[in-house]
Amino acid sequence: MKKTLTSALMLTALALASNNALAQDAGTVAVKFGYNQIMPQVSSGDLSAPSMPGTKIDVKEAGAPIMTLTYMYTPAISFELYAGLPYEHEIVGDGAIKGVGKIASVKQVSPTLFAQYRFFDKESTFRPYVGLGLTYAYFYGEEGSGNLTALTNPGGDPTLLEVDDAWGISPQVGATVKIDRNWFVDMAVIKSFIKTTSHLSTGQSIDTKLDPLAVSLSVGYRF
Amino acid sequence: MNKFHPSWVAAAATALLVACSGGGEGDQSARVEYGKMVTFGDSLSDVGSYNVGVIASMGGGRYSINTGDKVNWTELLATTVGVDALCPAETGLNSAPELGGPVATVDHAGCYSYAQGGARVTNPIGPGNAALLALGDPSGALGQLTKPVVEQIGRHLAAVGGSFAADDLVTVMAGGNDLFMQLAAFEAMVGAGMPVDQASEAVVTAMGQAGAELAAYVTTQIVANGATHVVVVNVPDAANAPAFLGSPDTQALVTAMLTTYNGQLAAGLAASSDKVLLVDAYTVSQDQAVHPTQYGLSDVTHPACDLEHMPLATSLACTVDTLVAGVTETWQYADTVHPTPYGYKLLAQLVTAEMSKKGWL
Repeated sequence: MKKTLTSALMLTALALASNNALAQDAGTVAVKFGYNQIMPQVSSGDLSAPSMPGTKIDVKEAGAPIMTLTYMYTPAISFELYAGLPYEHEIVGDGAIKGVGKIASVKQVSPTLFAQYRFFDKESTFRPYVGLGLTYAYFYGEEGSGNLTALTNPGGDPTLLEVDDAWGISPQVGATVKIDRNWFVDMAVIKSFIKTTSHLSTGQSIDTKLDPLAVSLSVGYRF
Repeated sequence: MNKFHPSWVAAAATALLVACSGGGEGDQSARVEYGKMVTFGDSLSDVGSYNVGVIASMGGGRYSINTGDKVNWTELLATTVGVDALCPAETGLNSAPELGGPVATVDHAGCYSYAQGGARVTNPIGPGNAALLALGDPSGALGQLTKPVVEQIGRHLAAVGGSFAADDLVTVMAGGNDLFMQLAAFEAMVGAGMPVDQASEAVVTAMGQAGAELAAYVTTQIVANGATHVVVVNVPDAANAPAFLGSPDTQALVTAMLTTYNGQLAAGLAASSDKVLLVDAYTVSQDQAVHPTQYGLSDVTHPACDLEHMPLATSLACTVDTLVAGVTETWQYADTVHPTPYGYKLLAQLVTAEMSKKGWL
């Protein structure tokens, strides 16, 4: 994260060198690079039988560099695609197994396509926006642990897990601050509504609403 | 370059679908590294003390459905924490002639599973002990050694030079046989004319004393001698086991005896909480009886072993070939009190969850 921020700052510094404004006009394409922190706000179901009543999970926050691509359809309406490097989340025990610590980890990428409305004039230095996105949460690289095996199949084969991919709706609010005709800074907050099911090799499963809140800070360049 | 170029989207999308290798088992090691496991207790922790003579010939050895595989919760726990497989510290049987006669008692160096079927906390005569024959209890014919927990601990200390290793994982689970022997005492007292209330009070008090004694052994003999990870499991709710179903009066007495025993055990261990983990199997086993499906249990009231037709009516001699018709893998009880391999697995799961919460796994 440190590295990413450092390079972001360098880009910002470079950007400040020139000073010609490029409007957020129709047909403009912009790219942003930044860092996004995803904070799942988990509401866990119970692990299916056989299990201790109220066996739940929590998913820890994770951050990763992001890249976005924006297309100004009109001076006010834009489309934006969020992509980026994978996030790795720790899965920890909750409910009846709160306190057991890490039981698994999972990686995810969740590309999201937003339709956005940008306020104020296209030449404004400060332009807040709202967006609504469609997210595809793609989970992979699930890793169990000795803890997970101990909790679900003590003395037996290691327990594996698999997290279902899921679609979700993602409202967004954000703002851009123009630095010069090409460069700008962008901050966005995205809430996603994502529900998934994790399956264990023991035949058990657990439903989880992840509903993450994501905060990103990026530096952008308009072409 | 104001044009939106479709190839960018393709590039971005490709970047998203980075390496999508399948999942794995992750790091399976425990957070605490244990050198070995040392177990004290009764049949619920016995890994084959009587797997000799007539029992061996029947393919038995564990108080469960003997599958030839690891079934006892202590064995499952040993695998989970990554220590050597458990083996009984002592084997032998003082069987009566009709059960093949005595098999010499043998000490096994390097084996630290002291738990023996029939063992009590302090009293050396538990169920199945040959001394009971003379008192008219036919269970004595099997001749279980029933060395009590206090003696088991002493034997271990003698074998290892007087102190536990700091990386020992010690388990203690006993009290069930004090229950059975005290119930027999209750019957005898009532039979001899003592009022039921008075007899009840006597055996409940005796159980409380046994619980306090076990707690004292854990603190003064185990923790005081260097053990740092001691898992103590209280006595599960035998009142709901097949042994007592259908006898409400006995069930009420059993409940009173066990809650008193477990209460004294917990009270005695309260001060040594950082080195002792008390696992409440009693409460969970009660819940298992009330909400079996939550635990994947399909039967919590019938013995899976065909006790009526087995030559020895105990799960110690029960195998996959001596089950009643219709048994599935998820029955709770092998005989009238001992769990099936599935029941032991549930117990192991409870223990591992509590150990994990304490940072011991």
